[in-house]
Amino acid sequence: MANETLDKAKVKEAVQRRKKETYTPVIPVQQFGFVHNNVDCIGCRACEIACKDKNGLAPGPRFRRVMYVEGGTYPDVYAYKVNMSCNHCAEPACLPTCPTGAIFKRVKDGIVDIDSSLCIGCRRCEAACPFGAPQFIPDQNIVSKCNMCVDEIDAGRKPYCVQACMMRVLDIGPIDQLRAGTYPTKAVAPHEKVVRQVKSMANPELTNPSIVFVPHSKGIVEDKGAK
Amino acid sequence: MNANTDKWWVGVVAIILALVGGFSVHFMSDSNGAPAPAASNTSPKAQEAAAPSTPPTAPATQVAAATLVTNDYGRARYDPIHFKPAIDKATDADCLKCHQEVLDSKTRDASPAGLKKTDTLAWYQTLDTYAGEQMTFHQRHLTAPFIKKVATMSCTTCHQGNNPRDEVSGTSADSPTDLTMRKMVDPNLCLRCHGQFPYQNMGLPGPWHESGAAFQNNCLLCHVSIRTNRHKVNYLNAAAIEQEATANGGDSCYGCHGGRAWYRTSFPYPRHAWPGAGATVPDWAKDRPTESDLRFLIEGSKP
Repeated sequence: MANETLDKAKVKEAVQRRKKETYTPVIPVQQFGFVHNNVDCIGCRACEIACKDKNGLAPGPRFRRVMYVEGGTYPDVYAYKVNMSCNHCAEPACLPTCPTGAIFKRVKDGIVDIDSSLCIGCRRCEAACPFGAPQFIPDQNIVSKCNMCVDEIDAGRKPYCVQACMMRVLDIGPIDQLRAGTYPTKAVAPHEKVVRQVKSMANPELTNPSIVFVPHSKGIVEDKGAK
Repeated sequence: MNANTDKWWVGVVAIILALVGGFSVHFMSDSNGAPAPAASNTSPKAQEAAAPSTPPTAPATQVAAATLVTNDYGRARYDPIHFKPAIDKATDADCLKCHQEVLDSKTRDASPAGLKKTDTLAWYQTLDTYAGEQMTFHQRHLTAPFIKKVATMSCTTCHQGNNPRDEVSGTSADSPTDLTMRKMVDPNLCLRCHGQFPYQNMGLPGPWHESGAAFQNNCLLCHVSIRTNRHKVNYLNAAAIEQEATANGGDSCYGCHGGRAWYRTSFPYPRHAWPGAGATVPDWAKDRPTESDLRFLIEGSKP
């Protein structure tokens, strides 16, 4: 209906006005983020399943993924887990790629959400995200992603993945407090320090992801400690 | 005579037909006898690789070529082409034998809510050089007219393979070292053309959309003599880029230098010496390499 009354001349004029303008990032009032303890996580994947259950995901797409990192040479072997979903970046790469405006960042808590009903399945966001958060839903030819369970957040609760974590190694909170170590969470012991990047993770400078980790000794990235 | 014993030959014919039929099915099926995986039990990537490599309407020659590739998904994932050094010599045709769907799949004509793709335009799609309908990112990088004009990208420009056992690099001896978690492509590669416009390094008063007019929206106003040794890598068409910049002005340059900036940072391009370059290196360029990555060097360009 709206398209029938669209003034094409005005649209062209608006396009011209916006020409070459850059994307202006949303600066939220408060930025929520995740914390994950790489060492104490046992890799049970309960968070993954809770997420799939909540979002009704078929086999294939996973909004949250527990990644097993194993290596070393006997007897010096190691294993730990890194757990990531959408990192609700301060300046998400997915958002400016979207040609339909389906992806947006909430001002009140910095959650990066997607209205998949506006998605045309170009999959640019999927390619642009350095952390692999947007997930392609093949049977609908659209992309969807973690939205930190905004309905739960708005109801004053935590996301399904956090609630499902039996080891309490996954949590959310204001990212500035998580980085400073001042947010009370069971995911971080009093003696532990958090970092914003672990080994093999994309450079956080690209998008400033809202996540911190308690790293395994073999997963520490030199010179890139907690911010 | 007994009617039942008279018809003994009917049973013999039936047995022969059954045997012939059985052998036919056996020999016409896949030679290694491995069953194709059930799509419902596989991940999207599994479905991608296991999916028919040609559309239903593909010519018979394409279908014949596709059948040369094993339909055993497990074997296909560990095919040497997904590892070094074979992947460095893989052609697009080699990759597309199994992954043709990356070019064949299309965007939706309209979103589930009814937003038509012809009615939407992103901020970066307002550049003069951005033409054509909405396409998938694979199509934009491989088959769109503009990219074919200014670049020579191939599948292996971005994809360097991975060990299917690994979600991160370094957990096995043969996993690529630059594989970042959850990604099949190193985001630093994307940064080359999707980083911020570093106006501070150039001494401009502001971002290009603010300061471009002062320079007649023409990058070559300065870059006719500064950093003229540029774009000489094997995935770009340097001559076509120069021609495009001359003909169409700043939009052509800005497209890759800030006009599609997904990331907060800029790519630290190698600082190739150019005729007339001064000996003094500015502070921001002091740690930069002076050559492009080895795999992007144009063959024969270096001693």
